[in-house]
Amino acid sequence: MRFSSHRLLDALCGEYLVGTLRGRPRRRFERALKQEPLVAARLAYWQRTYALRPSNDMRVQPDPNTWRRLEADLDLAKYRRPWWQRVGLWRLWATAATAALVVVIGMQVQVFEGQRQLVEVAKLAGKDQPPTVTASLSKDRQFLELRSVRPIEAGPQQSYELWLIPKEGGAPLSLAVLGRLDARLIVPSAQRARLQAGATLAVSVEPAGGSPTGAPTGPVILVGAIQT
Amino acid sequence: MLDDQEIKRLLLRAAARDEGAADAFGRLYRLTASLVLGVAQRVVGRRELAEEVLHDTFVKIWNAAATFDPLANQPVAWMVAIARNRALDLVASADHARVESVSDLAGEDDSDAVLDRFYDWSENAAGADEAEDLRRARGFLRRCLGELAAVERQALVLAYHHGMSHGDLAAHLAKPLGTVKTWVRRGMDNLRACVEHCMDPRSDAGHAMKGER
Repeated sequence: MRFSSHRLLDALCGEYLVGTLRGRPRRRFERALKQEPLVAARLAYWQRTYALRPSNDMRVQPDPNTWRRLEADLDLAKYRRPWWQRVGLWRLWATAATAALVVVIGMQVQVFEGQRQLVEVAKLAGKDQPPTVTASLSKDRQFLELRSVRPIEAGPQQSYELWLIPKEGGAPLSLAVLGRLDARLIVPSAQRARLQAGATLAVSVEPAGGSPTGAPTGPVILVGAIQT
Repeated sequence: MLDDQEIKRLLLRAAARDEGAADAFGRLYRLTASLVLGVAQRVVGRRELAEEVLHDTFVKIWNAAATFDPLANQPVAWMVAIARNRALDLVASADHARVESVSDLAGEDDSDAVLDRFYDWSENAAGADEAEDLRRARGFLRRCLGELAAVERQALVLAYHHGMSHGDLAAHLAKPLGTVKTWVRRGMDNLRACVEHCMDPRSDAGHAMKGER
């Protein structure tokens, strides 16, 4: 785009700012703006001097959905510190819960020292996945051992919870809260009789310290039926 | 009142794309979104289109924040220019009855009243750190708008504030297209001559304005 004179350039800048330069002429002017420094400089001068500053009477309150859409479209959550990192206390609590868990598991492992004969009773697998964890049970059903083919450890804010779904159906019963899926544990005496063929073992992901409700709240990652 | 320094700070913070970027951008939105929506609403006429303009404007602001030059640009003017451009694109592509929506101007038809009510001419409109020449230019601009012929001022205000095209103006004012084109062109020409005359340090107007303050 060539401008025969500054006068023409000024006229175009003016009409561009006022908004009466429309359609193809506007596109052409915007192209020139990118390609010709003289045009850009002249428009910058116009903008600096002639841009009107809207007053508070101009304001119209936006629909809250517009901000929600922006947050989603621009993926703004990526540029925000996660909320639990902004609350120092939470961090402390999560650490304490993890430490407490280690103590509980340690105690269970100690009791387990008197080794007994274990028999594999179930293979646990994710949906449409090969089995990754095997469950073995002592003859008296007092001890249960989980072995994973590769280490599976919960994140710092998570625990795994092992559930027993009885043969006759009904609500899942919690067997243990675990930090990792290699574990030996004492089966709660009330559940021992239910650890039989036809029952199912399942592992869910829960907040650190286990399900706050007593029922699985997070995704179930592993399932396997007991066969003895 | 919007402080340009604060807006600049938030723009730069958003451009940093770190963990504070979203919060800065959110604050920028809370401070300026209603202004952007108000500008867009007057240009496009319809509320749902105006919300589209608001959305697209802030997408552009987020993506272009890194190219914002705090030394060269006035931040609110920069944001408003993005909104106006998007709004003008939308009215050009939308085949809605532009004139019909403008005919219902709800008391925004008096160009002097529109200028004084919807635009900020005050000395400290942009905060304490605004350059002296910009403060003065704002005063000159309002005065020169007042000195234009009434038809020229009206044509400029309808085009700028209400986003009317030449065709919309001709229909709204019931005048031939050539006539309204002339009003717009001559209006801008006279406005520029007047403002440049005032800004010229040798001019009487410049001294008079300085003396008034």
